[in-house]
Amino acid sequence: MAKITLTMRSSITVPLEAEVITPDGLAGKSEEEIKSLTVYHGNREMKLGDFFDVSVEGSGDPASTEIIMKGDLTRVKRIGEGMTAGSIVIEGSCDMHCGALMRGGKITVKGDADAWAGREMRGGELVIEGNAGNYLGAGYRGEMTGMRGGKITVEGDAGDYIGEHMAGGEILVKGNVGILPGLSMTGGRIIIEGSATMPGGEMTKGEIIVKGEVYDMLPGFRFEGEEEIEGKRFRKHTGDLAVRGVGKGVLLLG
Amino acid sequence: MGILIKNGVVYDPAQGIYGEKMDISIDGDKIVEDVSSPERVIDAEGRLVVPGGVELHSHIAGGKVNAGRIMRPEDGRKGRAPRGRLTRACSGFSILNTFSTGYTYARMGYTTTFEAAMPPLLARHTHEEFEDMPITDKGALVLLDNNWMTMEYVKAGDLDRLAAYVSWMFGATKAYGIKIVNPGGVEAWGWGKNCSINDPVPHFDVTPKEIIRALAKVNEELKLPHSIHIHCNDLGHPGNFETTLETYEAVKDITASSDRQVMHATHTQFHAYGGSSWKDFESKADAIADYVNKNDHITIDLGAVMFCDTTTMTADGPMEYSLHTLSRRKWSNHDVELETGSGIIPVAYSPKVPVNAIQWAVGIELALLIEDPWKVVLTTDHPNGCPFTFYPEIIALLMSKPKREEMLKGVSDAVGRRALIATIDRELTWGEIITMTRSAPAKILGLSESKGTLRVGADADVAIYDIMPESFDPAKGYREIEEKLMRTFYTVKGGEVVVKDGEIVATPPGRTYWVNPVGERAHAMREEMLKDLEAKFDAYYTVSMANYPVQDEYLSHPLEIRAG
Repeated sequence: MAKITLTMRSSITVPLEAEVITPDGLAGKSEEEIKSLTVYHGNREMKLGDFFDVSVEGSGDPASTEIIMKGDLTRVKRIGEGMTAGSIVIEGSCDMHCGALMRGGKITVKGDADAWAGREMRGGELVIEGNAGNYLGAGYRGEMTGMRGGKITVEGDAGDYIGEHMAGGEILVKGNVGILPGLSMTGGRIIIEGSATMPGGEMTKGEIIVKGEVYDMLPGFRFEGEEEIEGKRFRKHTGDLAVRGVGKGVLLLG
Repeated sequence: MGILIKNGVVYDPAQGIYGEKMDISIDGDKIVEDVSSPERVIDAEGRLVVPGGVELHSHIAGGKVNAGRIMRPEDGRKGRAPRGRLTRACSGFSILNTFSTGYTYARMGYTTTFEAAMPPLLARHTHEEFEDMPITDKGALVLLDNNWMTMEYVKAGDLDRLAAYVSWMFGATKAYGIKIVNPGGVEAWGWGKNCSINDPVPHFDVTPKEIIRALAKVNEELKLPHSIHIHCNDLGHPGNFETTLETYEAVKDITASSDRQVMHATHTQFHAYGGSSWKDFESKADAIADYVNKNDHITIDLGAVMFCDTTTMTADGPMEYSLHTLSRRKWSNHDVELETGSGIIPVAYSPKVPVNAIQWAVGIELALLIEDPWKVVLTTDHPNGCPFTFYPEIIALLMSKPKREEMLKGVSDAVGRRALIATIDRELTWGEIITMTRSAPAKILGLSESKGTLRVGADADVAIYDIMPESFDPAKGYREIEEKLMRTFYTVKGGEVVVKDGEIVATPPGRTYWVNPVGERAHAMREEMLKDLEAKFDAYYTVSMANYPVQDEYLSHPLEIRAG
């Protein structure tokens, strides 16, 4: 087991690109080695040690490495990008792209995560105890595929376009979401316990469950009858028929 | 002063030099007989020394290229490199940014790059991107075929005014040659239709064949350095090889004004298909190659396909729409007023998809079945068949049967039944490859005095690759070909070392070639033509005629060629 603690010394305004912060990137390294890793502050090449105090206890492979992040991380981007194993606990809120391209392991954000959290995720688990921003589990600009696997849980609310182009895995939002969750979705499952606006636009496959209010229901969905899940009744729709009349997506409204 | 390249194994097909150990001397920006006290001596130590590569058909600058960049931010995630000491930030895989385009060509040993389709109204944009593209010498082929002025003159049979119009447009857009793209078809697309070679263009009552013949005649009357450069009708359609052959045959009786072809037919891979539908789609590379082998008025380039996720972009709007109906991927279309149109759609060529696998085979087959390498140029119609960065791998395929056999294992078995590649044993030599990438494109463009050769007096554009041709077996060493042709040992452009050990060491601006037709034919009917043109501007164009021509300032490094 290894426990690596990264403590941000002071707040920054220009964002820090810190995709090196993964168990894969830090496991087996000494404090000095970790401090000398490259990060970009705006367009300047800097060292991780320029921003963080680092302490390492024990050692181990990525799977047995836990990274604890402290301090004001609201301008630190890409934490845990592409990680395959181990865990990261962010004791506060973080900036965009947390857990993007993640393949395994677990990230826990104790506060909020900004946009693109879990973007293009393939596996592993991302838990956001606060709120999530826009494009949670989505594909990046122009891409045709978003999240493909793994699980994202948001205890609070999430923003717009969550699960855009999602192809697999699961997103659970316990609060409300903004407009167009599951836009162009081709697989996987989104569960929204609160409200949602225009869910499932252009979806061709996959499943969206909205337990709360739905605003501006899109016209491309066909009502298929009622369905009972775990003792609760849902109105089942299929769509979005606007896309070549495919309509294999399932929208369950509570 | 100058550079001496010693001990190179030189291939310069234009001079009949095939693998001779010799020295190359450079003084200023030209190749010279010898240089007395060279400033720099490069010992090639038996490496392959060849003229700088000449790209005669590539989509690298202008409106549609930039629309592709905007449309595909995901492509910009690939190929990224931060700013270096000399180099600007790079991005892109199929639609490279301007900087990356220049650096990448130079690293691969290419020093001359032609943009294949410039809409006249977007000429400024094309020249702006040229300005931003370091190192290589450039030129643009201007689209003049779906143009209302052209079609009306063709209909009236008035080649005098057509010649005046073409020559005025060369000056107005600073163009190098005449490009024809799906003649008539792009205009018809404005009405939701398309044209094959003998279909009358809606509302103009001319056929594509008449447009092609008229432009070919005018091209020769104006004594332009390049011939007409054509993207035939029916691109990508099963069974289109018949249209292609009819297009070739249509200009057979026209005499070239100089020692070159009468028609250059581009990305022929996309025009060499048999069958009647996607189900019985097959290679007709043999029929096309047979025609080219028997006729000297025609040259082609490949437009080879390699398997990757690329972006297709062409003035052929209807063709891009038909691709969209197949793949449903994001698509854009553009109409350029009275002149032309364009379309863009991403395409992923997959080895498992029978049609894609056959397309791949056709490109390679054309290069292997056409006997004379002076008639066939290596291109991928970048980025339509695949990005130009696949050239090294394509060269490996052409030089090595084992490479082809290895690749055939991974492609749809439809290739065995409906293509010819597996039956061809020919392996191209270095002499043939250098011809297809240097000497032939330079000759076809009418630049054989200055480009594609190491003859005394030619531009000092030289590529040295880290390959020892005297001891190297290309058939076995295909992986090495792929690696070594990607990054030169040295690239010299205009007498300046621009690449060393695969790294950019200097980024001079390239020049822009343009052709100024100055002969009697160009000017005889100019006044009368301008009256017709003014009427068009008044009635239809969104810009006034005074604001239309590209100002001289747009070309900060122009190289004017006077023709006629």
